Amino acid sequence: MTTSAQWLRRVGPLIESLLAGLIGLVIGAFIMLAFGYDPLAAYLSLFSGSFGSVYSWAETLANATPLILTALTFAIAMRGGLFNIGAEGQLYMGALAAVAVSLIHLPSPFNIIVSLVAAMVAGMIWSLPVALLKLGRGVHEVISTIMFNWISHFFAFYLIANVLTDPKRGEKTISIVESARLGRILPTASLNYGLVIALITVAFILFFLWRTSAGFELRASGYNSEASHYAGISLRKQVMRTFLIGGAIAGLAGAVQVMGRPPTYAVMSGMPQLVNLGFDGIGVAMIGRNHPVGIVVAAIFFGGLMVGGRIMQFDPGVPFELVRVIEGVIIVTLAVPELRRIFSVARRKLSGGG
Amino acid sequence: MANSAIDPKGQAPKTPVHGQILLEARGLSKGFPGVWKHLILDHLDFDVRAGEVHTLLGENGAGKTVIANILSGYYGKTDGEIRVKGKLVSFDSPRDGLAHGIAMVHQDLMLVGAFTVAQNVMVGLKAPPFSFRLHQVERKLDELVAHYGLQVDPRARVEDLSAGEQQRVEILKVLFHEPEVLFLDEPTSLLTPHEADQLFVVLRAMADEGKGIVFISHKMREVFAVSDRVTVLKLGKMQGTCHISETTEDELTRRTFGETVPDYMERPAVRSDKLAIKVSNLIPQGLEKKAPKSGFSFTLRQGEILGLAGVAGNGQSELIASITGLASPASGQIIILGEDMTKRSPRAFIEKGVAHIPERRREMGIVEQMFVAENVVLKDYRQTPFSRNTVLNHHEITAHAQDIVARFNALVPDLWDTECRILSGGNIQRLILGRETWRKPPVIIASHPTEGLDAKAIRHTWDLFLELREQGSGILLISEDLDEIMSLSDRIGVMFEGAIVGVVEGQDADRELLGHWMAGTAAQAA
Amino acid sequence: MEMAHLWGILFLSLHAMVPITLAAIGETIEESAGLFNIGLEGILLLGALAGALGAEASGSASIGLLSGMTAGALVGLLFGWIGTTLRGSQLITGVGINLFALGFVALMLTVLGAPGFHSVSREIQVPLIPLGVGSLSPLVPVTIVLAFAVWWLLRRTQLGIWIRAAGDNPGAADVAGLPVNALRLGTAVAAGMLAGLAGAYLSVDWFGAVTKEITAGRGFIALAIVVFSGLNPLLALLGGFIFGLFDGLATWVATYPGIKEIIPWQFVAMAPYIVTLAVVAGGIGRVRFPKGLGVPYLRE
Repeated sequence: MTTSAQWLRRVGPLIESLLAGLIGLVIGAFIMLAFGYDPLAAYLSLFSGSFGSVYSWAETLANATPLILTALTFAIAMRGGLFNIGAEGQLYMGALAAVAVSLIHLPSPFNIIVSLVAAMVAGMIWSLPVALLKLGRGVHEVISTIMFNWISHFFAFYLIANVLTDPKRGEKTISIVESARLGRILPTASLNYGLVIALITVAFILFFLWRTSAGFELRASGYNSEASHYAGISLRKQVMRTFLIGGAIAGLAGAVQVMGRPPTYAVMSGMPQLVNLGFDGIGVAMIGRNHPVGIVVAAIFFGGLMVGGRIMQFDPGVPFELVRVIEGVIIVTLAVPELRRIFSVARRKLSGGG
Repeated sequence: MANSAIDPKGQAPKTPVHGQILLEARGLSKGFPGVWKHLILDHLDFDVRAGEVHTLLGENGAGKTVIANILSGYYGKTDGEIRVKGKLVSFDSPRDGLAHGIAMVHQDLMLVGAFTVAQNVMVGLKAPPFSFRLHQVERKLDELVAHYGLQVDPRARVEDLSAGEQQRVEILKVLFHEPEVLFLDEPTSLLTPHEADQLFVVLRAMADEGKGIVFISHKMREVFAVSDRVTVLKLGKMQGTCHISETTEDELTRRTFGETVPDYMERPAVRSDKLAIKVSNLIPQGLEKKAPKSGFSFTLRQGEILGLAGVAGNGQSELIASITGLASPASGQIIILGEDMTKRSPRAFIEKGVAHIPERRREMGIVEQMFVAENVVLKDYRQTPFSRNTVLNHHEITAHAQDIVARFNALVPDLWDTECRILSGGNIQRLILGRETWRKPPVIIASHPTEGLDAKAIRHTWDLFLELREQGSGILLISEDLDEIMSLSDRIGVMFEGAIVGVVEGQDADRELLGHWMAGTAAQAA
Repeated sequence: MEMAHLWGILFLSLHAMVPITLAAIGETIEESAGLFNIGLEGILLLGALAGALGAEASGSASIGLLSGMTAGALVGLLFGWIGTTLRGSQLITGVGINLFALGFVALMLTVLGAPGFHSVSREIQVPLIPLGVGSLSPLVPVTIVLAFAVWWLLRRTQLGIWIRAAGDNPGAADVAGLPVNALRLGTAVAAGMLAGLAGAYLSVDWFGAVTKEITAGRGFIALAIVVFSGLNPLLALLGGFIFGLFDGLATWVATYPGIKEIIPWQFVAMAPYIVTLAVVAGGIGRVRFPKGLGVPYLRE
């Protein structure tokens, strides 16, 4: 392989994501035109709103934080050859576990650590049955994770309304105890140390996947289960590991949202600050090509879209929902391997008719 | 259907073949000279007459399946003429073939498991979308079953049937279209001997009706049980066609498997008496119905090469899966280096010191999407120095990979940037050989290790095996290449229908004798 | 409990059954051919929007329903095209469709007036059939008939054989001369049409409005019902009714004095999902899915 073909192989996925992103923005522009908005003004507003000032960057990063984590959950599973879309349900449980455990009133920083651990355990408890059902009964994880998402959804509602309710304000849970709150990085924005936790997790997963034997096994079994079996890798262990690690990280996502989000530091009924984080995480993971570093970049992009989208709604008045439309188009575009085929053809030509 | 028409002990029917020529090929060729070692089919003349069972005999790669596929419309030809009842034809698809009354039953089953036999027949039916001719199909199938004595229940679900029954379903599927010429590719590969005899009765009946049956096989017993004429192919070239009464088993075996005597590679005699492998009455998973109750039994000494010859499909893959831990055997015992390893996991076998060079390099031997260095340590990554406390040591892995690549002459652009997917088959095999043998493992299971390699690489591999043998490794060599087996092995066994039939000393091995065993004819005293 | 309550629950259940069952029936056709569309939820949503807009533009409820079906068919076509001809990932496409629909519908709602809510005026809603004890939507009997029709299509026609062959063993189907990808594409369009109809029913009939949350996971419930039914449309009808029953019960439990203190409504709402899990876990050995499900077909 010539060096230019090699370069293309590494950078190819990045280019695909950029291309998909571009297509999404173009289609978004067309939709805006159809309704009489000015796409240039809108995008200007969008991007300056998300990346134009220190404050906007802070908000963007704050939004990106939980997305990084839920995206990792999905990405790890994909690398292991599994489709874990249960982050949504796992993160609700993580958030509520953090609330509950923080009530022990340990002094900070122990309370923070204990709450985070509790959230991870809750996430794992929620993903464990999915793994067991797959291993024991051959239940496909797409169906079981969807079911568990909905069960978690209603169970969370129940807990918010009946078990962890704030006695003074019935529509929210008891707030996370002060000693368990994650401090703000910037006094005026919602950016908090949850970001640090997310980045530490990214570093850990990066190390795990490429620098440990456990990560090696996971990737191998994701690529080729027959060869992995031949090489002595236990496929059952991989399924367990994938779901447990994914569940823990998703639980962490929920915890970080609750422990770091001013001003209430609680879960509201309806869970507005938790809902859809799991599904958006899937989008982030896909655009980030299931790679931890790509995920960080994609999460910032998504987070920025959300922040900027609100500004864009303010002025020039393009509804925020357009952002979701763009996200959807990007993902559908990424589903098409045509993009990859264009690149493999180019790669072959560069490497001299391979 | 009188059974007297067939005598499995080898008396051929005496009916002369004088029927009309139903299908004829003249100068049939496939392949391009210079591209491959030889043309896949080299200007063959072949014909099928009404009322005959015509057997196509040959080793693997001889071209028997290819010619059948071309004449029934599945493949295209490069040159030559095909005539159906004297009329020149050209087939674009199997449907064309069927339209001219020519059908083929493949070795691979192509059935919809969830459907019944009748519903499977309906899949290929030309009928309007909203019709539902199930009952008509079932009735016709009932007639066919009764007429030919094929034991198949048209209303049974295919999934619930045994492999042998499913093969019969394939035949029934094809009979439904009332072909005049029928090609059957190794139809008894999944059948027990009893089921095979039943099939021969059916084939004979079809021929007696005026059909032309072409039967592809490598098993001599079958050839003599059912054929009127036999054609031998070798490496795409015609070796001759004759009436079965004009030839003998010996002659056919010689024609099919060749006469040349390869060089036996001189070496010191086997010194050790310690056993590397002892297999007793092993019936691997998947062979429960086919294998004789005694199953596989053999021993391999340390410092010995035992070659197992045999045409593919006689239980090789299943045996290998059992003695490497990939699948649990149905019954029997496997003892490796003194320890009972029956039903243990692949990891246990690897840790015991069993190396496995697999037949399917790309699908099983490596993880194609991973890098060269990663594939080199695919089985060793757990051990120090490649990892300690679960953390991988890239430095050590790189050094080791460099070493292996150099020693085994693998041509790779780099170690951490190249996905193994893009490497050639030969280079992949070199990496696998390096990976499996660098620790000088006490037991090596090598399955078709030099297939697709060039002469130099083959020689290198053979030298490597002899060297490892010298150092005490016990090598089980499974190959279809009789030259390889005869050159390398201290002892040679032949696999046939789920058992090992006969074992001889390598030096004394007689190609004709081996051919007999591979073809399933009772071994005459050598 | 009075009779009026029982009738009320029955009618509520039948109405709730319609969208889930329609989507499930469509998905059954699709999965029989080997396609797995996780984007049903998105198609439902788009169908709801298209239905409302179509009804308003034309002043007729039937046109509204047709618009929903058309929108669904188009999305189904896109999904089928990506999954077969382009050999793309069905799961990822489905997720993308869901996200797109969520955003697009919310966008349209804002653009068209009150953000988040758009009601369809009474005159153009589907007229109900008054039955004395309550009013039944005509789509209820339509759904039941469709369930039987699709069962007949899949189990008692030549086309059904072809579709199921393409799903279970596309290689064998190909060798037998069937146009595997064309068959699959057709089923994707059919499934999209039915899901679109289900969505239009939500806006033009049952709820009489379009909101972002109008589908409430019904697309996913439909997927679960398809698993539950083992690709049998009649069982999907039954499953849809059971889910509808729970749906109705949950509302009833949440509001009926005396009961609502004892059983938290959230647990009734959870019940269908738990039941699905139990069925899928317990029965998966007996339920058999096409071997080619979810895998794009590549001729070797």
